[in-house]
Amino acid sequence: MTEEEDIREYLVEMKDLSALMVDLAFSSVMYNSDEIAEEVYLLEERMDDMTLTVKKLALREAKKEEEPERLLSVIDLADINERIADAAYSIADIVLRDIEPHPIIRAIMEETEEELGRVRVHPGSVLIGKTLQQLKLPSKTGTRILAIKRGNRYIYNPGKGDWIEEGDVLIAVSSDMDKLRKLAGEDVDEE
Amino acid sequence: MEEWDEVEVPDNVKDIFIEMKNTAELMVDLAYSSVLLKEEEIAEEVLELEEYLDLLNYHLMMRAVLSARNIHEAEQITSILHMGRAINDISDAAADLAQMVLEEDRLHPIITEAILESEETIGRIRVSPESVLVGKTFEEVDLAANTGVWIIAVRRGKRWIFDPEGDFKVMPEDVLIGRGTRTALDYLKEIAMGRIKVIGSEV
Repeated sequence: MTEEEDIREYLVEMKDLSALMVDLAFSSVMYNSDEIAEEVYLLEERMDDMTLTVKKLALREAKKEEEPERLLSVIDLADINERIADAAYSIADIVLRDIEPHPIIRAIMEETEEELGRVRVHPGSVLIGKTLQQLKLPSKTGTRILAIKRGNRYIYNPGKGDWIEEGDVLIAVSSDMDKLRKLAGEDVDEE
Repeated sequence: MEEWDEVEVPDNVKDIFIEMKNTAELMVDLAYSSVLLKEEEIAEEVLELEEYLDLLNYHLMMRAVLSARNIHEAEQITSILHMGRAINDISDAAADLAQMVLEEDRLHPIITEAILESEETIGRIRVSPESVLVGKTFEEVDLAANTGVWIIAVRRGKRWIFDPEGDFKVMPEDVLIGRGTRTALDYLKEIAMGRIKVIGSEV
């Protein structure tokens, strides 16, 4: 793969991740979820690594370019995404630190019966191999999937055509998280 | 141009907060649109929104500080200031992104490619006179729920309408700027071209 292709792939992932992080950060505050706030923390570390990698690649690529200055915009874009990711982390940090947040912060996000969490899809789960369209999770379990974490990759805002695989981690908002955990083959009493 | 003194700011912390969050998110979308479409007017709108967000953050801080009656409350209020600052950081980043468009000749083609390839990208959709969208308001067609596309701006003739409201009525030849997945944008394009005549007939 050429450096240019590498850079493009990194930039795509950074853009997706920074958007996901902002979503997750606000959600973690809204649902007071330590789990999701930690997820944002982990993503932030990954963003830092990726930013450095893109910068190095851009400098290397610059040697080959007719107009090396144009690579500046690549470095700028990586930086901008990193800053958005930092801000997301800073929002999630409100959940992680010991100081109790001001009641208004919770009030903003409105009274909700829903819960936000991470659910791992275990072997034998009925969810495996099905598309979101087939599963109809919103109507059947009151669940909205914000992202599917598959290995190191995130499928952000999964659509009807996306399917679920064994080992996936679903980041979801649900009015019946226990039901979702059961469907995913998790032992509900585990936590 | 409006004077900032005359700009209305919501009068309680909760509403200011929601306005800040929505504005920052809109700014990021508009900033990426301006880069992708190389539209300086969109970039300039982002910079104006940045000033608006600064103003909101200032009001947020004032009100938050005013409301503390004791040490415990003051400590809790730091979380509001903290969040206001984080949202402000997002808006600064969006403004810098928009600034890249205004300082032309600097953009590497990789950047547009990366925006186009990301999960949620930006699309430009022209509304044909045959489309079922014509004459309907955004509230009636509810594109976000029915197609998965968020409309962040509309170009009508030479005029831009940013962050159109629910009562905005679609006219033939309007150009919608929307954020969504490729699939969602393609679906909306079919509706806008008049090839799909029903909106929201999922299942």
